[in-house]
Amino acid sequence: MNTALRLISGEGDIGKTGVFWISFLFVVLLFFIYPSQVSAFRASNSAYYLLNIPLGMGMALLWGYCGVLSFGHVAYFGISAYLYGIIAGNLSENSWGPIIGILGGLGGSAIVAAVFGYFVFYARVQKWIIPILTLVFTLLLETFLGQTAGYQWRVGSVLLGGYNGMTGIPSFQLGDYIFQGYSFYYYCLVVVLACYFFLRMTVNSGFGKVTIAIREDELRTETLGYDVRARQCLIFVLSAVLAGISGVLYVQWGNYVTPSQVGLLQAALPVVWAAVGGRTSLLAVAMSTFCLGWITFTLSSQGNQYAMVIIGGVLIVTMLFFPRGIFLMIAEILGRWVSKISKGNT
Amino acid sequence: MDTLPLALSLIYQFGSTMAFLFLSALGLIIILGMMNIINLAHGELMMMGAYTATITYHAGAPFFVSVILSFFVVAIFGAALETLIVRKFYGRELSALVVTWGVGLVMGQGTLLFFGPFMPSIKIPGGNFSYGVFSFSVYSLILMLISGLLILILWFIYNKTSYGLQAKATMQDAEMAKNLGVRTGRIYTLTFSIGAGLAGLSGALLAPTVTIAPFMGQQFVAPAFITVVVGGAGNVIAGAVGSSALLAGVKVPIGMAFGSFVGTVALLVAALIIIRIAPNGISAYMQNLFDRLSWGARR
Repeated sequence: MNTALRLISGEGDIGKTGVFWISFLFVVLLFFIYPSQVSAFRASNSAYYLLNIPLGMGMALLWGYCGVLSFGHVAYFGISAYLYGIIAGNLSENSWGPIIGILGGLGGSAIVAAVFGYFVFYARVQKWIIPILTLVFTLLLETFLGQTAGYQWRVGSVLLGGYNGMTGIPSFQLGDYIFQGYSFYYYCLVVVLACYFFLRMTVNSGFGKVTIAIREDELRTETLGYDVRARQCLIFVLSAVLAGISGVLYVQWGNYVTPSQVGLLQAALPVVWAAVGGRTSLLAVAMSTFCLGWITFTLSSQGNQYAMVIIGGVLIVTMLFFPRGIFLMIAEILGRWVSKISKGNT
Repeated sequence: MDTLPLALSLIYQFGSTMAFLFLSALGLIIILGMMNIINLAHGELMMMGAYTATITYHAGAPFFVSVILSFFVVAIFGAALETLIVRKFYGRELSALVVTWGVGLVMGQGTLLFFGPFMPSIKIPGGNFSYGVFSFSVYSLILMLISGLLILILWFIYNKTSYGLQAKATMQDAEMAKNLGVRTGRIYTLTFSIGAGLAGLSGALLAPTVTIAPFMGQQFVAPAFITVVVGGAGNVIAGAVGSSALLAGVKVPIGMAFGSFVGTVALLVAALIIIRIAPNGISAYMQNLFDRLSWGARR
């Protein structure tokens, strides 16, 4: 129990004071009582902002903690989403279908990421090549999925559907209970919190410390006897699985998926979340994912075509003037402020 | 069927694929090789060149003039981009990647808002001629010629002019070059501007062969970056020529047998395998090979 507590509240992420944990619990509590105050439609919208958080945190883990940048993590989002759709769609009579679909989707993402990671990391390519290859990979995946229109592209009873996408994907189901509306919101919230605590414990463990050491100095870490290639590959697979979790949640939420989910515009979003949030903190990225998702969705649902221009502009401004991330900077200022006040009291 | 027309057709396909890969990658590889900046707004710079060419062409300018004009328009834009944004990111490769991606997003979406989703196309200059059962487009041959001409011009600029000398000195050791009186800041701006201008020129040259739309840059992104990754940054021009030849050699036969999408997938697979063998690109690999061979001969 003590070990677990130490792992959760360690150096790996911002916030380990009592004040922080009290406000953290308070915010989580707000998230839990939020649905009782709004309609099922609003709760379902909020679930959409929540379900992107694992993808954002996967980016933070890979880029911020391991120093490897990927522009194509939406590819793993897409692979999981499509695989879940195929498996759960074919097993729609079976109440275990969605669970088998989740396992199949995440497993598929992990396998593809492992093969890709083997070629990239074991070749010890220069750092800039990885983002390029991942981007090319996701663009090719989009082209492939886009040309799967027509009846000949089907797996079992499920049509891949080309640019119109795959529709009628089953929601998440436990026994006979189907998660929709309010219950889907709570399901998302629990998954996101579980992911956060798991990742926070990971980055505070010995494994996480070595990961950060790889980011700081690859050669030195290697001379200390750690297999840098295997660890980078493992982190890559882990972040691909996190992207897959978001993908599965996405299709369970909307019951459809289109190839544009793995396109260039979507591929930009995780990078923007991680950059704006502050990629060296899981919590900051989780918050920025939620907030930016909310802003983008609100802007585009009002018919505002400037949403992507604004997102791109925010990315440029962040990289120019707040290279460590806006949310992280605000958090640090708040932290200094709180510690000054508590020092003043004693 | 005669074998001669078939062989000519294969050579023609190979040449036009190689010209396409070379033109797509040219601006990118110059900026990467000389400045170590990966310009993810490359596709959008090509789009800008295509738009400039289309607008001036439909305003009545001859196609040749509008292509030249798009070089200068995009080059000026590139100089502004370098001065305002890219300059702050020298030595921070990953951040440079991210910020140029932001620039690309704004450019693509901004073009969509400003010009709308469609542009009138440019008629392909020159006609077709046929030999045996195969038909060939004159414009593809022109593109091959222009690619060859560009290689010569670039070779001349980087080996025979004082700008080329200063640029190479800056690339090798910026600090030392600065001490010797080279204005490295100006060299960087000029290099980025030339790279951007070449992207614009390529975009304008390829404009008649593709649909002109705000996100047309995306279709160049995959081939351009694969060419650059395979070529490596060791020797800019040799890398671009070598890798576009190698990749065309992979893409043409596979594309002919299984269709163009499988051909593009084969490009990615080939790139993954090639970097597994030669992580720094084939230009560095060849360099190594030659060094080892000549060392062996001397012994």
